[in-house]
Amino acid sequence: MQRVSIDVGPDGSLEVVLRGEVDFTNAAASAEAIRAAIAAGRPAVVRVDLAAVTFLDSSGIGVLVQAMKAAAAADAAFRVEHPTDKVLDQLHLAGLLEPFGVNQS
Amino acid sequence: MLRTGPDAEGRGQQMEAHHGYLQRLTELNAEIGRSRLDPDVGYERAAGLLAGRIGCRVEEAHTYLRQLATEQDRDVRAVAAEVLATLEARAATPPGRLRTAAAEALTVPVQQVGPGLLNSWVRHEEQTRLAERIAQTERLGNLGWGEWDLVSDATVWSDELYRIYERDPTAGPLPREESEALALPDDEPVRRQAAEAFGRGETVDVTYRIRVNGRVKHVRAVVDAVRDGHGRPLKIYGIIQDVTARETSRAKLAEVQQQLREHQASLAVEHRLAAQLQQIVLPIPTAPIDLPGLRAAVRYLPAEQASRVGGDWYHAAVARDGSVILAVGDVAGHGLHAAATMALLRHALTTLTVTTTTHPAELLAHLNQLLNASDPAVGTATAVIVRYDPATHHLLWAQAGHPAPLHTRAGATAELARPRGPLLGALPHPGYDTATLSLGAGDVLLLYTDGLIEHRSHSLEEGLAPVMATLNRVSAAVRPPPLDELVAELRTANPDDDTCILAARRCAANGSPDE
Repeated sequence: MQRVSIDVGPDGSLEVVLRGEVDFTNAAASAEAIRAAIAAGRPAVVRVDLAAVTFLDSSGIGVLVQAMKAAAAADAAFRVEHPTDKVLDQLHLAGLLEPFGVNQS
Repeated sequence: MLRTGPDAEGRGQQMEAHHGYLQRLTELNAEIGRSRLDPDVGYERAAGLLAGRIGCRVEEAHTYLRQLATEQDRDVRAVAAEVLATLEARAATPPGRLRTAAAEALTVPVQQVGPGLLNSWVRHEEQTRLAERIAQTERLGNLGWGEWDLVSDATVWSDELYRIYERDPTAGPLPREESEALALPDDEPVRRQAAEAFGRGETVDVTYRIRVNGRVKHVRAVVDAVRDGHGRPLKIYGIIQDVTARETSRAKLAEVQQQLREHQASLAVEHRLAAQLQQIVLPIPTAPIDLPGLRAAVRYLPAEQASRVGGDWYHAAVARDGSVILAVGDVAGHGLHAAATMALLRHALTTLTVTTTTHPAELLAHLNQLLNASDPAVGTATAVIVRYDPATHHLLWAQAGHPAPLHTRAGATAELARPRGPLLGALPHPGYDTATLSLGAGDVLLLYTDGLIEHRSHSLEEGLAPVMATLNRVSAAVRPPPLDELVAELRTANPDDDTCILAARRCAANGSPDE
């Protein structure tokens, strides 16, 4: 299964789905794939779905940060969605819940 | 293999076979006349040819000839001359291929059983079955065999050998010179070596490459010879195996291994550089550091895997305004890049505390700006910065995406409530809030990087529990151990990550360290 898959949603938003453990072994490739998709697609919204992500290390958080920066550079809104409790903890620790627009319901 | 046991029935068969064999010999002899060779040379040649024909050792052929002579009460040389004449006559006829040979009316019906030799007439259908079995084995093993009779200069190839050489069986075996010309010139040295070994009478086992119809094949050849009493080969037979698939995967494996070695070598170099850089930028003190009103101990646990060393740092120094600045930070990623960013942050912090500010939130804002202004490859980092006022024992602290310090007082440890602060290098203008704490005499403050508590198999809370338990136990002691012993007790949760721990304890009221 691919670590990252990228699709364009019906509303023209860029839907990024990350899976498994996102860490320093695969971070660079994932970040580059997302950056290239944002640069090419110029979407209005970038959504990153983390429902299937089991672990993020600091490099994995770096992937999300780079995606956020790429979205900002393309004037796109950026949102991270469906983190598991563990990933939510990690995003909370990094102080990124608010910048990532994570809904903490 | 068809085998008959050496029992009574077997012996009966043996006698019958001998009889039949001799009869046949006599008939053939009558057809072609007697050998004109010298009897002694004839004996050696007969044994050699016989061994080659039936596939036994020359010594066994000797035994067999003597047996025949004894049974007929004749001179062994006379028997040998008959055998020789017969075999030479047969060799003079075109040998054909394996199955043709097998189907021939006369097959020297000798099979080795146990220590001796046993003759048995093999019925044609059995022989055909045997030949088919051999052919099947050959196909499965990509094995072919060939033999070259030096006496008659006849060459026989098995079916599979034709397949290996992609040659039409009706064309007959490839002449030896032509088949040797197919070998790649690069393999000439191994082939020459093998030829020399063969010359010394050894069995040759050599793997080399041939070019067949433009494609390179790897073949393994096991070659042996039937020799006369002087060691001269009478007949050469070889088993040829097409090992191209094996050799190809072996070559691929070797290539991958080579790449792996190169990769490991470059990783080792990178690790050495990262470790050296870290040593230069971040020498870890072996003894506790005495600061105004505080004593601090630092422990650095490098990642077990060499390639992951690199991004953790600490700071424990007096600022120009007399306050003490304690900090711990963690750069995302590993290796040289992380080590370089670590150096950047640590030097910047030292400079800022001397030139610009000692306020933790302001310091973090500056470091964040620094990372944002740097090359995007620099990435993100986390940090916690504490300012201690030795006069008031007051702590002011801030953090950027970093685990909160732990505060231990007389056997009770608490994680401090974190003020707001996203990690460094993520946002252009994040706000960093601060929090305060009053440090009591004997209180311990523990700053650490997430390698201490973070592990992919459990939650941060689960990782924190054993650390807090250790701190509680150690600080509850009547005479708490020195700080460096305390930090030495802490076990890192994640051996994959490097970990930096900084523990600080407030000195006793009289100003001297309370240890």
